[in-house]
Amino acid sequence: MGLRERLAGRRVYMTGVTGFVGEALLERLLSDFPDTRVVALVRPRGGQDGASRLRRQLRKPAFKALREKVGEGAVEKLAARVEVLDGDLASIPDIPADVDLVIHCAGEVSFDPPVDEGFTTNVGGVQELLRAARAGGASPHIVHVSTAYVAGLRSGHIAEGRLTHDVDWEAEKAVAGRARQAAEDASRTPEHSARFLAEAQAKHLRAGAQSVSRDAEDRRRQWVRDRLVRSGAERAQVLGWTDCYTFTKALAERCLEDSHGDLPLTIVRPSIIESALARPYPGWIEGFKMAEPLILAYGRGEFPDFPASPDATIDIIPVDLVVNAIIAAAAQTPPADEPAYYTVCSGFRNPLLFRELFEHVHEYFQEHPLPKRGRGPIAVPEWPFAGARAAEAKLRNGERVAAVAGRVLEHVPRSEKVRRWAQEFDRFESRVGFLRRYADIYRAYTKAELVYVDDATKALYDALDAADQADFNFDPACYDWYHYLQEVHFPAVTAILRRPRDPAPPKRSGVNLPANPDALAVFDLDGTLVTSTVIESYLWLRLADEAPAGRARELAGLAAVLPRYLRAERTDRGHLIRSVYARYKGADPEELARIIDEVAGDILLRRVKPAAIRRVRAHRQAGHRTVLLTGSVDFLVRPLAPLFDEVVASKLTVGADGLLTGKLASSPLVGDARAAFLDHYAGQVGADLSSSWAYGDSQSDIPMLRAVGNPVAVNPDLSLFRTAKANGWAVEEWPSTAGEPRAVAPSRQERSLFHAARTAAATLTGAGTGAGVGRDGGAR
Amino acid sequence: MAVRPGFVLEVDERTPPLLVHQGEGLLLEQFPLGTRVVYPPESLPGVPDVNAVIADALEHPHGSEPLRALLFAGMKLTIAFDDLSIPLPRMRRPDIRQRVIEQVLALAAEAGVDDVHLIVATALHRRMTAAEIEYVVGERVFRSFWPDNLYNHDAEDRDNLLHVGVTDHGEDVEINRRAAESDLIVYVNVNLVAMDGGHKSVPIGLASYNSLRHHHNSHTMLHSNSFMDHTRSAMHSSAWRMGRLLARHVKIFTVETTVNNQAFPEKYGFLTKREWEWSRKDQAMAYGMTAALPKLPGRQRHRLFQNIVADYQVTAVNAGETEAVHERTLESVHRQQLVEVDGQSDVLVVGLPYIGPYNSDAVMNPILATCLGLGYFFNMYRGRPLVRHKGAMILYHPVTPEFTQLHHPSYVDFYEEVLAESTDPATIEAKFEKQYATDPWYIHLYRTSHAYHGVHPFYMWYWATHGMDHVGDVVWVGGDRRACARMGFRAASTFADALEMVSGTVGRDPSITYLHSPPHAIADVR
Repeated sequence: MGLRERLAGRRVYMTGVTGFVGEALLERLLSDFPDTRVVALVRPRGGQDGASRLRRQLRKPAFKALREKVGEGAVEKLAARVEVLDGDLASIPDIPADVDLVIHCAGEVSFDPPVDEGFTTNVGGVQELLRAARAGGASPHIVHVSTAYVAGLRSGHIAEGRLTHDVDWEAEKAVAGRARQAAEDASRTPEHSARFLAEAQAKHLRAGAQSVSRDAEDRRRQWVRDRLVRSGAERAQVLGWTDCYTFTKALAERCLEDSHGDLPLTIVRPSIIESALARPYPGWIEGFKMAEPLILAYGRGEFPDFPASPDATIDIIPVDLVVNAIIAAAAQTPPADEPAYYTVCSGFRNPLLFRELFEHVHEYFQEHPLPKRGRGPIAVPEWPFAGARAAEAKLRNGERVAAVAGRVLEHVPRSEKVRRWAQEFDRFESRVGFLRRYADIYRAYTKAELVYVDDATKALYDALDAADQADFNFDPACYDWYHYLQEVHFPAVTAILRRPRDPAPPKRSGVNLPANPDALAVFDLDGTLVTSTVIESYLWLRLADEAPAGRARELAGLAAVLPRYLRAERTDRGHLIRSVYARYKGADPEELARIIDEVAGDILLRRVKPAAIRRVRAHRQAGHRTVLLTGSVDFLVRPLAPLFDEVVASKLTVGADGLLTGKLASSPLVGDARAAFLDHYAGQVGADLSSSWAYGDSQSDIPMLRAVGNPVAVNPDLSLFRTAKANGWAVEEWPSTAGEPRAVAPSRQERSLFHAARTAAATLTGAGTGAGVGRDGGAR
Repeated sequence: MAVRPGFVLEVDERTPPLLVHQGEGLLLEQFPLGTRVVYPPESLPGVPDVNAVIADALEHPHGSEPLRALLFAGMKLTIAFDDLSIPLPRMRRPDIRQRVIEQVLALAAEAGVDDVHLIVATALHRRMTAAEIEYVVGERVFRSFWPDNLYNHDAEDRDNLLHVGVTDHGEDVEINRRAAESDLIVYVNVNLVAMDGGHKSVPIGLASYNSLRHHHNSHTMLHSNSFMDHTRSAMHSSAWRMGRLLARHVKIFTVETTVNNQAFPEKYGFLTKREWEWSRKDQAMAYGMTAALPKLPGRQRHRLFQNIVADYQVTAVNAGETEAVHERTLESVHRQQLVEVDGQSDVLVVGLPYIGPYNSDAVMNPILATCLGLGYFFNMYRGRPLVRHKGAMILYHPVTPEFTQLHHPSYVDFYEEVLAESTDPATIEAKFEKQYATDPWYIHLYRTSHAYHGVHPFYMWYWATHGMDHVGDVVWVGGDRRACARMGFRAASTFADALEMVSGTVGRDPSITYLHSPPHAIADVR
């Protein structure tokens, strides 16, 4: 009897239909088993219930041929053949009593999940499955899809059958369940809290307390996660498994073996599943599985060596062979007390050595190199197979370089070039990180020089009739590696990188700002609108009336304290502002305003970035409300005031003697304070922050930028640059005008002329006469 | 002592390398054999007693009663004078304007006039700083009048402008209200080149944008052949119509002065001498400077050039009715600058110096360089241009895309936004001028800071219209490639390359004329 007949009239319950194997299996069932009814457990997700997720899935490429065969209204017709039950592995609705076959494809597929999640999904999942089956009154044959690697860290031949270990899965699961609570508790100890806070402060102090605490909490969460991941990985290795994935999969098998009771149980163990050999079409693959990232990294020339033994077997199996084996196994119900085990793998009958795989990859990319936009084909490296230790050393070197470069980068002054370096560095760092991650994951797999034996699977295959053998082939010797890898798999995996990319969109000149009376356009001053710092603008005012000797004195005095100011600046921008403004103590505010009007304002206007001014005016034209938000003192920004509807600047207090006290009237608006201000201000003027713009240049502007819908980082410092890149914020380069020197002092001659005229006018008014040639006593 | 007149050299085997200005740099170039080099006449001697000449001019004016007779107690007197755009470089103190103004004020005091305003006729130029005004009018005048009665004209101060009338061509005449309502305007000018003075003084120097737009536009400027010949310049014709209308409305007493060709101090004497007559010292300076300048940091080089003060000598002072005065002034200018040149050539070569009328204390940005080259130097002719129709012009200038933001904020945007879209003067005018002219931020900067008016870069571009229209090819030797391309020109690294590039227009063996200037020379092309 053929497979179709054996499964005809049966009701199949499937989990994991949205996964890689599940999708291929569903396609096969719908195409070839018209008389088999399918019930699928689908987790509602992203606001979609199970049924609509399934319908969406039916529109995917895997079902294309099937849809064409069905014709008009294919998706609806196919969907009607599948009964969808909403639920997930944590709570499975009771399985209908008439279900007589369960194929359990769902599971945690990540190699390094947090230990509690690994257990909940993989072990808890099968427990829940058994419960749901029994609760619904069904007594189906259970086909559990596991992995060949449940065998753990061994070498030599691995036979099919029950695993030999005596790990108490219930105890392990209980501990894993408690691990989260323990980690959460540990992460909140004062020692850890202090550390998270210190780390966050080192990075975000300038942005303010809110940003620091947000980052500290992020760090804590990450720490908990890392700890759970490590618990899983370490525990797995202690007990002899490669990682948390194989560990929990192994214990899931044991759980089933212990609890399946009178339900017939079949365990299918595929090795590394890759793209399809023939069905639904050659090269079909969904998402990136195990080896693809490595293949692509190699093709991009970014993968210099790999810590693997060249003669180890790498066990790869096309997904359609796995699906066929599952169907064959499902059709073969074993006795309830004698679970069946099938390993679906290639290593025994059609072995592929790591060296051969490399040669295939190398040859393939030599013949079909990946294109790099504008740079021609990419050259791929020869792997020396220098051994794990050499590869590891190389990797560690890379990590060390990255660490040093990262530290250096944080201390160089910002510029467009530095930002470009930073981008290159980040790419380098992520490459190193990528290699590290994969080296760690694969170390166990590639070191384990083991061979899976698939005698039972071969027997299952041999038992099929000839037609089924052709139709549902899962004989690993049926294909040739050259064909599969170089003609099917690699082209499929690299297709996405070969797709002709749309040419880069032409750079738009100017910006398109939609008119909107409710929008704000908020600008930071120093570094964003103007190339200057608080210290420079202080000097413009201070040096205006000083003779060269006085100028030198003032500069020397400032130079002496500058390092202290700058250290403070690294951690707290408010501190720098306060220190500089304290130096205004004893200055006459009216005199300062005059200095601005007469000489220093000109310097500010020389320093203004033309692109910035254009942007401010473009916002005005669009009807946006323009706001200047700065920690600078109010009189300093007067020359720019006409550009803005609102100028929010620091104010210095005036003492009883009419002179400045050097103290601020309120805290400077920096970091978080800006976000809070914007929130309040928007409410006040009825503006909509989500459609507003903000422009800033440094870390301390991040809270302000976060507060609006259209944040723009202008000539950003490294920390803002990275935040902007990570959040997809616009980054713009606004150059300062070439031709304006940076070091300028106000013209003393000009000042003295104004001064003399004022003194003369004062004397004249005092004397009350109209003396002098043609002088009319001030008609104007 | 008779001075040698202007002279056209033909380059032969014995001709030494010739001096060429290239912005803030100097070159010694060996021109191809047969190149014609136009040298201005040698410097005329200055008048021996400047004060006496001024007193005489005020006492014996042309077509007018003596100034003394025009002054009376209780009158409103306005003295307006040229701003820092002339002379270039600025002249050694005392500035001729100071000397004239002091005498006018003395006469006014004698007559008991006590309502006197002094106005810098800036038109849409930037406001002069206190120090710059003080340099021009001198310490005494400055101290007595600044800031209340000595100030810059403000073409955007609606309350202080007066619409005087409309010419028969429909042109609005609108000038400074104080000046228009005065009993007498005394205008004091420095007539550096033939383009200056006459009715260009009051109707333009004290005008509003509303009035200026009638002659400062691409159409008028295309039809000004040349600016140095007011009888053939559409721009000047318009100004003349306005001036005549104005003269019917307000009494104007014009004082025009001319200076000789000593545009550089004694130290830099080689700049005004003919190369084959250089002394050892001149040679040492010339070779030393050409070698050293490129090695100096930009800022120091800039300062070195901006600090140059000219040893101009006054050659004439004429006073009285504007047109009668200007006629005599032009005679004086021509005596100093006119050179007879026989026919046009295929290629005109000019070396642009470090300064033009609009970059005192600023860098010469690409737009100003274009204006100086194609607007001013190209127009240094009477009769016909030095270069034939659709010939080529080769200019020496670095055309560095640098701007002095304080003075030229609208230039930056003009360069980035306007020129990026079009370089055609008429298109630019139609599409962008209004927006720039009425932009509140530019107006604010013009009125309160030291910025040229928002529309000023357009005028600079219009100045070059006639030149751009006439020549077929423009190549900048040593020019920044991107900046040149942005403006629709090409750049070459050497003169030889430039000749190669224009060979498509003028052939392999073109006739070449090099206008050896500054000092200024007006070619009288026969």
